[in-house]
Amino acid sequence: MTHLTMEQLLAVREPGLEPGVAGWRDHASACDLCRAELDRLDQRVARLRALPALQPSRNRFAEIRTATSASRRRKRWVAFSAGGFAVAASLTLAVVLTRTPELSGGSAQQVAEQQELDSIIARSRSLEGAIQDYNPDQRVTDGRTAVVAASLEDRLARVDDQLQMVNMMDQSVRREAALRLWRERVGLLNALVDVHVTRARAVGF
Amino acid sequence: MDLFRLADADAVLPRVKAGDPVAQEALYRAFEVPVYNLARRICRTTEDAEDVLQETFFEVYRSIGRFRGDGSLWGWVRTIASSKALMRLRRNKYRETDELQDDITPLRREDTALRMDLETALERLSHTSRAVVWLHDVEGYTHEEIAGMMDKTVSFSKSQLARAHTRLRRWLGEEVPA
Repeated sequence: MTHLTMEQLLAVREPGLEPGVAGWRDHASACDLCRAELDRLDQRVARLRALPALQPSRNRFAEIRTATSASRRRKRWVAFSAGGFAVAASLTLAVVLTRTPELSGGSAQQVAEQQELDSIIARSRSLEGAIQDYNPDQRVTDGRTAVVAASLEDRLARVDDQLQMVNMMDQSVRREAALRLWRERVGLLNALVDVHVTRARAVGF
Repeated sequence: MDLFRLADADAVLPRVKAGDPVAQEALYRAFEVPVYNLARRICRTTEDAEDVLQETFFEVYRSIGRFRGDGSLWGWVRTIASSKALMRLRRNKYRETDELQDDITPLRREDTALRMDLETALERLSHTSRAVVWLHDVEGYTHEEIAGMMDKTVSFSKSQLARAHTRLRRWLGEEVPA
């Protein structure tokens, strides 16, 4: 007599009636050995369900909460990058362009400042790309890293707010303010890359 | 699962959706243990399970606005946790050395000293088999659902379950002479 295989015994326990299962059920009810095997299978599953629940070693809510808040802040400055970034960059460039030597007879220093601004904005885009590729929202961080990242993102948000106000400043200080703010923005993004990407590489992600 | 805490979780749902941190903590307290337990049963290490716990709640808070209440809240949270745990398994690609050991040193049925308890036997299964056993037998997922989560076929899920039970039966000393 051929007894039921483990796969057939498991199929007998499944709800519904797939082809062939009715015959296996008939066999299990008629065969002492297979019925006993089915009972043992039921008992094993019951024992699995009765295993004690394993508990985490500590409460991680504070870290999760910090990471959730950081994600909201990040969305804010990413939104600045997607929409306000282009506006802010064009405003800032416009400030400088009006003072280029070709258009208004400006100095060599002004040309150098425009080039620096172009370079800083490109650098800013590149750093944001690195952070977005890393996608911190999908990563696990320890509490200390999350706090440092949150602080940097807060400062970044403040710089972005100020950048959006540059156009309302007096013409004489706009260029200098814009350069200062873009430099600060790149410095903060560099620090964020260090916190997220460099640390991730160090731990093998 | 603690039914009182589960009821709490459903009651605070509107406040969690509004981003209330007190309600978020209540939800965490309600589901912390079952989420960790599921993650720990699937993942190989406690560190991985704790990471899955954190990733799960992060995703829950971020996506809670999309939860429409079609099924139970726990069912929704559990699906996120299962998915995160399986992703971690795939990412870490643990070596399945346990199966090799089993082939080299088969347990004799009469050698009761070598019989394992269920916890040890479960831990000894390959990570894929253990995940299928836990998701099917304990969490109550169907083979179709498991196949979907693992990006495998239904036949794969069924054969992993059969293979796991064959091994558990042997390791637990439950084999009966034919």
